[in-house]
Amino acid sequence: MGVIALDRLEVRLGGRTVLNGLTGELRGHAVGLLGPNGAGKSTLINTLLGFHEPSGGNAKVLGLDARTDRMRIRQSVGYMPENDSFIGNMSGVRFVRYMAELSGLPPAAALERAHEALFYVGLGEVRYRKISTYSLGMKQLIKLAQALAHGPKLLILDEPTNGLDPTARQRMVQLIKEIRKEGSMHMLISSHLLRDIDETCDEVLILKKGSIAAISNIEEERRSHRNFIEMEMTGNTEAFAEKMQALGCECARFAGGRVKVVMPDALSQRDLYVTAAETGAEIRRIQTRRDSLEDIFLRAMDYEGGRIDHVSLPA
Amino acid sequence: MSVFQHDYRPYDGPTTALWKRPLVLARYGLGEAWGSKITVGLAVLALLPCIVDLVLMYLANNPVAKMLVMRGNPLLEINEKFFLGMLETQCWFALVLAAWIAPRLVSFDLGDNALPILLSHPISRFSYVLGKFIALTLSLSYVTWIPLLVLFVYQCYASPVPWTMGHLGIAVGMFVGCAVWIVLLSFIGLAVASWVKWRVIATGAMFAVIFVPAGVGAIASTVLRTKWGMLLNFPVVMSELWQRLVGAPQLFPGRMDLPSPALVAVLIAASLACVAVLNARIRAREVVRG
Repeated sequence: MGVIALDRLEVRLGGRTVLNGLTGELRGHAVGLLGPNGAGKSTLINTLLGFHEPSGGNAKVLGLDARTDRMRIRQSVGYMPENDSFIGNMSGVRFVRYMAELSGLPPAAALERAHEALFYVGLGEVRYRKISTYSLGMKQLIKLAQALAHGPKLLILDEPTNGLDPTARQRMVQLIKEIRKEGSMHMLISSHLLRDIDETCDEVLILKKGSIAAISNIEEERRSHRNFIEMEMTGNTEAFAEKMQALGCECARFAGGRVKVVMPDALSQRDLYVTAAETGAEIRRIQTRRDSLEDIFLRAMDYEGGRIDHVSLPA
Repeated sequence: MSVFQHDYRPYDGPTTALWKRPLVLARYGLGEAWGSKITVGLAVLALLPCIVDLVLMYLANNPVAKMLVMRGNPLLEINEKFFLGMLETQCWFALVLAAWIAPRLVSFDLGDNALPILLSHPISRFSYVLGKFIALTLSLSYVTWIPLLVLFVYQCYASPVPWTMGHLGIAVGMFVGCAVWIVLLSFIGLAVASWVKWRVIATGAMFAVIFVPAGVGAIASTVLRTKWGMLLNFPVVMSELWQRLVGAPQLFPGRMDLPSPALVAVLIAASLACVAVLNARIRAREVVRG
């Protein structure tokens, strides 16, 4: 069973269709939600949380229907909203305890977990300060702390690095990685920053104009194209290419002596040098290149049809 | 998670029932409301008339005190009219308290955009409003029906002649009158606070909602020469209702002779309008039309 299952999900808000027939299943441990502004990322999250009623189709979160099981979904989900959302008049620990109690923890357990969550995200020393006095980075972290405190099965992070300076961003990304590594909860991370998703997620859902442009397993993409090599060569590149193809590689030559090779697992880079020496070619520069999330995203943005595609690398 | 180890652990302990979640909101709401010294000051101030009334009851019921202090003055009688005066005094104090507390319950949440986070937890919008409503009604009960019924019980105890059974209607009337007023104030307070994010302005708006329609109603009554304009005058409507509930004689006979169903209808209409405002304002997300 997937963490999130969408079946022709349609959401209309203010008289216009914001999400249009989304269908797909997300099974990853950390799922990235990508898309340009206005693609429908936040609307999808709000629909999963039950803030918006689907006008058509269905969405399931952890096997629960987003239309009929809202309370059970919210019980199992920790949500960190994109914008500032807190009670500034409260101290950090009181706020997180309050949120934990709303999620059903008894008061004593909620207090204990609030302290723990605040230490975990790095706000232990400022937990008795009013939230209104926190910096932007601290406010992001306290939103994360309240989302974690009740031990959710799914953590939904909406633009978690929004507005953070590089140090704070790195700290947030590191925290997300730790949570992912710990492995007891799934994550859905919405962001327009490809780097954040690239660093933290193993699966990505790309939205474009309210439709799914791609669902891609980032790890699989990387694994399947780990021997994608770009070279700049001189000499007899034609003979080199023919020899490499004979060895089972996919090989393409370009102007200026550029050669691209996708090697099977059985071959190593040493074989490139041996073959070059045998065919009278010289390797001037070599670069092993992994297919980046940016490539996947850019290809998905070119997509215009109604078909869901599992994005793969070009040969 | 552990404070010392700084790592994460899932929670596998017990959880409370869903129906108890509004009580969490109410508890934190009460904490927020009564955390202010001004709230405590207003509440203490609101109890001063009760102390005065208590002294008057003592004087009225104690023959020696009556003789020495009142010098046999028969003007002080503990009856429906006396309790009606108490009821009106306490209920107007309740308005002041509601105008101060209601914005503290809701405006902090709205001002800091806390609703998306609050409502992402397993509580509905109805539960949210219910929790705040409970916090406000409990706060207002403290200055209205609770002290009034305590004074009624004291009167029952202190009266030298059998008094209780003949005046039980006063207790019921006071309780119902306070309950109606508290519910109305709570609805208006929460609706105004949800509409106006700034606390000071929300406090002022609360008084405006009560007294501006009263002025409009008075003008309408004068210009159109009708009594129905008085239905917009909440102070008059409530005074009439309290007087009928307690069973006291009319202070100004013939001033207004509006039927009781009309009084109840206008209160219900006002409450429904407040519910509509709450329904529009208490949302996790705003939807922009168009």
